[in-house]
Amino acid sequence: MGRAIVITSGKGGVGKTTTTANLGTALAQQGHSVVLIDADIGLRNLDVVMGLENRIVFHLVDVVRGRCPVAKALIRDRRLENLWMLPASQTDDKDAVKPEDMTRLVEELKSTHDFVLIDCPAGIEQGFKNAIAGADEAVVVATPEVSSIRDADRVVGLLAAQDVPARLIVNRISAHLVKRGDMLSQADVIEILALEMLGAIPLDDQIIATTNNGMPAVLAGKSPAAREFIRIAKRLAGQETEVPAASVGFFGRLTRALGLAPSPA
Amino acid sequence: MWNGVKNFLSGKSSREVAKGRLHLVLAHDRTGLEGGRLQEMREELAAVIAKYVPIDAEAVEIQIETRSSRETQLTVSSPIQPRNA
Repeated sequence: MGRAIVITSGKGGVGKTTTTANLGTALAQQGHSVVLIDADIGLRNLDVVMGLENRIVFHLVDVVRGRCPVAKALIRDRRLENLWMLPASQTDDKDAVKPEDMTRLVEELKSTHDFVLIDCPAGIEQGFKNAIAGADEAVVVATPEVSSIRDADRVVGLLAAQDVPARLIVNRISAHLVKRGDMLSQADVIEILALEMLGAIPLDDQIIATTNNGMPAVLAGKSPAAREFIRIAKRLAGQETEVPAASVGFFGRLTRALGLAPSPA
Repeated sequence: MWNGVKNFLSGKSSREVAKGRLHLVLAHDRTGLEGGRLQEMREELAAVIAKYVPIDAEAVEIQIETRSSRETQLTVSSPIQPRNA
């Protein structure tokens, strides 16, 4: 039985889709069988980030509506034989799917794959509720900016209310800006959000170029961001890797585990 | 060499300012209380306190802050007026 992990953030544009594409590809490179689900119905993008946009025939809503079996809608990535993607529909809206539909779909995919990564839409409405419904755990992506961190905190509260354990990736860290005092460090973000740290991705021009090419950075070479994605994928799979520079204190985890931390209504 | 954007009054780096602002805004967000409800609570609390000790209802303050990690603390403070005033 595989694991379902939702990649979420609250705020849009912080790197959820890039993270989903790269972690999924890295996990597949490491020998796991992986399905990526684009849960952003109406605004699909995982297909273009993966460079698989020309191969879409069926999509998530077709599967949920029973118009085709899930195996027929999955697109196999030709670059790695154990990597698949289930695209979102571009014409339906978020109400076309219910949380129960997602739970059923994810359960089915977990029975045949090691990892099911769910790319969550921005926001905390129906699309978010659908995306987290079938997830066993969550990866929260935040950039070191006040707007992103505030939204991430809201998502952390909602995930805790649904008993979905969450870990954090801080994306687009610039060591140079942190050093001169103009950017929150990964330790700052961890302290504020009180989440377990999964990793920090450096700000990296290569991501823009690889996305232009429809090629996840981890397939394109060893850019600084790609190296970190590979390391995070290993950590996700339970392999021991270097402990990140900062992690949440015992007290933070304890209050959360005991349900003492307030969760928003 | 450019040394980052310092706040004019406090001399703090923008990183420190962001951290302080986030601690404050998240403490409020986590209560789930909008401004109006908070004001209502302040007024009700002031009325309750005034039943027992002489206070200036306008001077009652409510402070919400994050203590450690995700623990949020609500503090009500009110100066008590001298009895023979």
